[in-house]
Parts: sequence; structure tokens; C-alpha cells
Amino acid sequence: MAFDVTLRINDKVATIQLTGELDASTAGEFHATVGRAAGEGAVELVIRAEQLDYLSSAGLRSLVFARQKMGDEVRIAIVGASEPVARTIRLAGFDHSIDLVDA
Amino acid sequence: MTFEFEAGGTGRAAGIVQAPECGKANALCVPATIDSLEPVTGFVLGLGKQARLTDSSLYRFRLAADELVTNIVVHGYRGEPGQITVDGGIDPGDVWVRFQDDAPAFDPRQGMREPALDVPLAERQIGGLGVFLAFTAVDTFEYELVAGRNVSTLVMRRPAVE
Repeated sequence: MAFDVTLRINDKVATIQLTGELDASTAGEFHATVGRAAGEGAVELVIRAEQLDYLSSAGLRSLVFARQKMGDEVRIAIVGASEPVARTIRLAGFDHSIDLVDA
Repeated sequence: MTFEFEAGGTGRAAGIVQAPECGKANALCVPATIDSLEPVTGFVLGLGKQARLTDSSLYRFRLAADELVTNIVVHGYRGEPGQITVDGGIDPGDVWVRFQDDAPAFDPRQGMREPALDVPLAERQIGGLGVFLAFTAVDTFEYELVAGRNVSTLVMRRPAVE
């Protein structure tokens, strides 16, 4: 399935743009990108999800990885998630630790 | 892809004794690998669209199928070579998809754990989350062990016809 992930770091704010479908076959790429953001010492992680069409539990696991990798001090926000993507995140209770913005 | 479906859910109603032939238009045989998510997704979305599921139901149908296949590959076959047979059908009131595999007997529902909402995410044990998502996404989630095969069936209700 089509999937694309890009990373931009500006003033210690890492922005990851997700496009397409985040599932078990694509989560590895996202995982690696989160690792790069953490390696750059980002103090905030913004995940742009407007173009994210689909999120499975494999994607949720990547968010857990992000939470652990970035450390407690780093705010993680997911911006613009669609209704079903936001539903999955809320159902798993991840919205307690990751801010859902404009979802 | 186009699919032709049986008029009724006769296969499901009769139970499974033998694996359906994958030459049928409404069945799919795939190797037990993560790469098989793509054809399975195509199959399930095609079936759900033909059944005129709403966008929200279609998304949940796909999510449940995705989680179940991932579960079979990762926890069923555990990297060993294997096959997953997928078939499905549309009934007047619902649409269903069925997964059969020859991995060791395993009821996916036994591995389900509800998310520990009160535990910080960074400390969360998230095993069982996929099955939880699958279970909460569909209207019915059935598991049977039939002649040594794992058989899981997901059912979504169709919207009432006007």
C-alpha cells in the first residue's frame, strides 16, 4: 500500500508527515524516522496525520515506541487525524499521553 | 479486482469441513507473511464495498481483517512458512470474511487484553492490542477449531436497505 514518511527538524521541533497507510508492513519506516528525530535531540514531536488514511495496531506500537524513545519531557502531538484514525488512538487510550490536535 | 459472491452465506451456515478451493472467485490463498496484508486488504475492501458498508464500517472491517492476519502471521505461524485461506460472502443482513490457517491451534480472543488506560503509555504492555481492536471493530468475531484448522470469521452488519 502507498505509504510515505518525511522528517523535518526546525528549532528542535521535529515534524513527521505521514501519507497513506500505517500498518505492519509500513510501521518499520515510521519507527526508523522516529529514531532519527530522537537522535537529533528534538524537544517536541509533531506528527502531521492529515494525509494518513489508515492506522492499525502496528502503527499504535510505533507511537508507544515514539513515547518511550523521545522521553517524558517531549510533547508528542498528532495533528489532523481523520475520524477513524483518531477513534483507534482513543480506543487504545493513547490520547492520555499523546495530544490529538484538530481531530 | 472484481469478485463474484455466492448468493447466500451457505458456506458459513454449513460450517467448514474442507478448505474451500482458492480457484473460486470469492476466495484468496496467501502465504503467511506480512506482505500478504495488501492482497487481503484489497479482498476485504472489495467485499465491503460491494456490500455497501458505510465508510466507517468499511474502515473497521478492514482493520479487523488486518489485525487478524497480522496475528496469524506473527503469533500463529511465528515466521514458519504457511498459508492463509480467506473467503467471504454477502448476506442480506451482513457481510462476512473468514480466515483459515494451519498454525498450531490458537483462539485469537484468548490473547486479547483491554488497554490499561491508567498506565502511562511509555510503561504500557501492549500485547493483545491488535486483537482488541479487531474485536471491537466488528459486530461478530467467531473462532472455531475445525479438523485442526483455525477458523476465524468476522461479520459486519450491512446498513438497512431503504
